[in-house]
Amino acid sequence: MNPFASPTSLTMQGTHRSLDTHKYSVILPTYNERANLPVIVWLLARTFTEQELDWEVVVVDDASPDGTQEVARQLAGVYGEDKILLRPRAGKLGLGTAYIHGLNFVTGDFVIIMDADFSHHPKFIPQFIRLQKAHNLDIVTGTRYRATSKPATVDALPGGVHGWDFKRKLVSRGANFLADTVLNPGVSDLTGSFRLYRLPVLRHIITETVSKGYVFQMEMMVRARALGYTVGEVPITFVDRIFGDSKLGASEVVGYAKGIWTLFVSV
Amino acid sequence: MARAHRAAVLGTIAIIAYMLTLFNVLSVPLVDAKIAEQILPVFPWWLLVSFGSYCLWSIGMGLATLRECPEAYNELLVEITAAKNDLRAKGVTVD
Repeated sequence: MNPFASPTSLTMQGTHRSLDTHKYSVILPTYNERANLPVIVWLLARTFTEQELDWEVVVVDDASPDGTQEVARQLAGVYGEDKILLRPRAGKLGLGTAYIHGLNFVTGDFVIIMDADFSHHPKFIPQFIRLQKAHNLDIVTGTRYRATSKPATVDALPGGVHGWDFKRKLVSRGANFLADTVLNPGVSDLTGSFRLYRLPVLRHIITETVSKGYVFQMEMMVRARALGYTVGEVPITFVDRIFGDSKLGASEVVGYAKGIWTLFVSV
Repeated sequence: MARAHRAAVLGTIAIIAYMLTLFNVLSVPLVDAKIAEQILPVFPWWLLVSFGSYCLWSIGMGLATLRECPEAYNELLVEITAAKNDLRAKGVTVD
């Protein structure tokens, strides 16, 4: 598509000092995120406005009982119906299908996927965008385990985590090592889900992906590499679960190992 | 070709090459035959131990280099309160 003829560039004439004619859509799957959603949207809006980028947020809510959709409607009132798109679903249907559902309503040409619970901070999105532009990458992913970006840039700050005890760190490193050895994915953080995708690339990969849950994120990255898409990494800080706690039980470990095996055999 | 298939092919080639050298059908180049005779039977165990120590080293290094980011946490807390105050003023229900 001619970027100078996109709706964004035609309507942005004279209104923005930015030369960026791309539109960045954020897909936010939510379930019971009534407390977190306003803050994450505020942070996203601030980041995009500061960078003078055209943006939108697609909120895919799985019929949350706590009033998340009401808060989303209020946010649409504050920021504009064209900026906050609430596209709910009838029930809790899973992450992969939430992205597919969200993709139906995306009007941008880049898609950012992230968690809505502050573990992913929007302040890294401009770094993702800069890296993508500098090397014409198809995908940029955030990594918690590196101190420098790949390919290297000057403005990348070291990644890290907060809120993990030793056991959690050990599990995370062990899981990453297993995935790295078996699948050799070429990215240092395979289970991370803070990524910037080119829209056609995301559409293509999502049609090929079959897993569910967090293995889904791994599978998308492994398939992207197998299909030959270029991937870059930016270090991010990951602040874990400041509201609430998560458990990592035996069934998750088994599910993870099964997911790795399935990817090993099928990709 | 999936990763598993590639790994299976490479693994089979490696095992066949190893068996051939072990039973003296082929000779190992650049190494004296007597030394090869002593090394080859224990070679798989050496590989296993090396892989085990590589695993331990890798996970240990990973644990040692996994950075803590308290500054990100503090910055986030400040931003959360700022966001809540700002949005409350604009009429959004924030807890």
